[in-house]
Amino acid sequence: MRIRSLAAPALFLAGLVLSGPAGAQVRSVEVRTPRPFGYFLGDLVHADIDLVVEPGFRLQAASLPKPGALTYWLDLRDLDATSAVDGDAQRVRLALTYQTFYAALDARALEIPGFTVTFVSESDHGATTLKAEVPAWSFNVSPLREVQPPARDDPRAYMRPDGQVGPGDPRPLLLGAAGSAALALAASVALARDRAWWPFRVRAGRPFGRAARRIRALSRRPDPTPHHRDALLALHHALDAAAGRRLLADDLGDFLQAHPAYAAEGSSLARFFEASRRTFFGSGPEAGFATLGVADLAALARRLARAERAA
Amino acid sequence: MNQFRSGDAMLTDWREAAGRFEATVGAVVLGQARAIRLLTIALFARGHVLLEGDVGVGKTTLLRAVARALGGAYARVEGTVDMMPTDLVYHTYLAEDGRPRVEPGPVLRQSEDLSIFFFNEINRARPQVHALLLRLMAERTLTAFNREYRFPNLQVFADRNRVEREETFELPAAARDRFLMEIGLEAPRDAEARRALVFDPRFHDTDALIAGIDGDVLDHAALPGIAAAIQHGIQASPAIEAYVIGLWAALVRPGEAGIRLAGLDMEALVQGGASPRGVAFLVRAARVRAWLEGRDWMVPEDIRAVFPEVMAHRVFLEPVYEMRRAAIMPELCRAVFETVPAP
Repeated sequence: MRIRSLAAPALFLAGLVLSGPAGAQVRSVEVRTPRPFGYFLGDLVHADIDLVVEPGFRLQAASLPKPGALTYWLDLRDLDATSAVDGDAQRVRLALTYQTFYAALDARALEIPGFTVTFVSESDHGATTLKAEVPAWSFNVSPLREVQPPARDDPRAYMRPDGQVGPGDPRPLLLGAAGSAALALAASVALARDRAWWPFRVRAGRPFGRAARRIRALSRRPDPTPHHRDALLALHHALDAAAGRRLLADDLGDFLQAHPAYAAEGSSLARFFEASRRTFFGSGPEAGFATLGVADLAALARRLARAERAA
Repeated sequence: MNQFRSGDAMLTDWREAAGRFEATVGAVVLGQARAIRLLTIALFARGHVLLEGDVGVGKTTLLRAVARALGGAYARVEGTVDMMPTDLVYHTYLAEDGRPRVEPGPVLRQSEDLSIFFFNEINRARPQVHALLLRLMAERTLTAFNREYRFPNLQVFADRNRVEREETFELPAAARDRFLMEIGLEAPRDAEARRALVFDPRFHDTDALIAGIDGDVLDHAALPGIAAAIQHGIQASPAIEAYVIGLWAALVRPGEAGIRLAGLDMEALVQGGASPRGVAFLVRAARVRAWLEGRDWMVPEDIRAVFPEVMAHRVFLEPVYEMRRAAIMPELCRAVFETVPAP
């Protein structure tokens, strides 16, 4: 008893829902064109089609005509569908662009074929479809020329001059070129760094030049004798840097063989090593000073620096 | 120009004797001038020497020639797997009357006059023998027949075959550290010397060759005294002291000294070694070298001339690198000398 009193309203509601689609209508189909006449071979024909259907219906995109050739003289170039809710109705606007290739000999009306658009309303109980017939509509095409044009001597006279091509916009190309150039430059900088090419190559230092400056500064002091040690050390470091290792007195021959630029100074360098040995390891700085004074050291360093520049 | 001070005439005379000694040995052992120079340094530094090298390059001949030219008593043993320490000290046998006898062995037989103890193929002897040798080398004493024997003039020369590893015993680190030098010997590179060694029959009969050496070029009994005089007579300036300490630090911690060798992790290369005793040995040998060069003060070249032989075998590498020691150590020594500033 209780169950029956509940079932009655439910059945009524189901009836309402089912009867909705059955009464569904296409409320209106309207084709709008800018003008129905004055078209020539190759012109684009725009048409807007407004379809108003019951709310809840959705355009089935697969039912729309496909862009492409429709007949031998007509192409559908473009199709754009937009949907909007307009009050209690669903409004769908199709923007169609046709192109006519009909070479008319006289002014005549051509018919663009109609098509069917399907709308779908889906619910829990199933889908309801609704078909809207878009009617065929016609427009007038006109010929481009007379049927029998006057005779010309030169057949080229029939031809019309080519249309002018606009100057075009070079900016994207320039931007692309500039970007590529910047990229190439960055890549070559990276390559130069990797290969230690010019700006990244450490220039061979000039240790003797540095030592010559330092020893000259020391020799100009009022009393250079106490700086003898420093002057010797400066030249030692220069020799070490030039040889790439620590150079001892016994290595002088090998060094001169490997760096013939300094061969002329062989005997002076031997005297320098003798002085250095005596100063650092032998009887004391006095003996070293007697062997090679600061002024002689400065002169030797200057000559070595000159040989280094020449090398 | 490098004159000794007055009163050092004895050192000058001895330097000439050392030159004669080198010439005498060099006439017999061809193409090994460097090894002979190092052996001379070791003699005057009173250090023990381990010769290492290939088979048949003249290790034994060189040591026999040195022993002969030095004069003095000389004993020789051959290392074998079954040798025991007592074999060096005692000689046991059955006498003609059938009774067992115990007499002094090779070490004691020459009594305390023994100046060179020559241990052939030392790595064939067992660690027990090495242990006996350790005391003999470190303290120059031995206890036998209930008394202590002293060998004030003793120098141990040993040689070792580098090729064979079967049935050999690696010298313990402590024993290796007591050798002043470990000298690597290679066949001479000089074509003339090679030809003479192969074709001159004089070099084929080693016994006759050694017997031809003049036996008293040096007075072996005076060596300890002259060695001490050299050590006192040769000066070390503060600069050379700083240099040696710098070398030491660079050898033990090459990574910190800025040494980089290709393919080696410098932070984990050297495990230890390079003991203070080793560095003291280094300075001792360098002093002798300075004396042989006619100076009474040391220069870095003296250190460099003896460094690889004195120091390389005292450095213990990480086990990963130990097998490549022969390739790594010369590189490391070279890099140390290229890195540490001399003055």
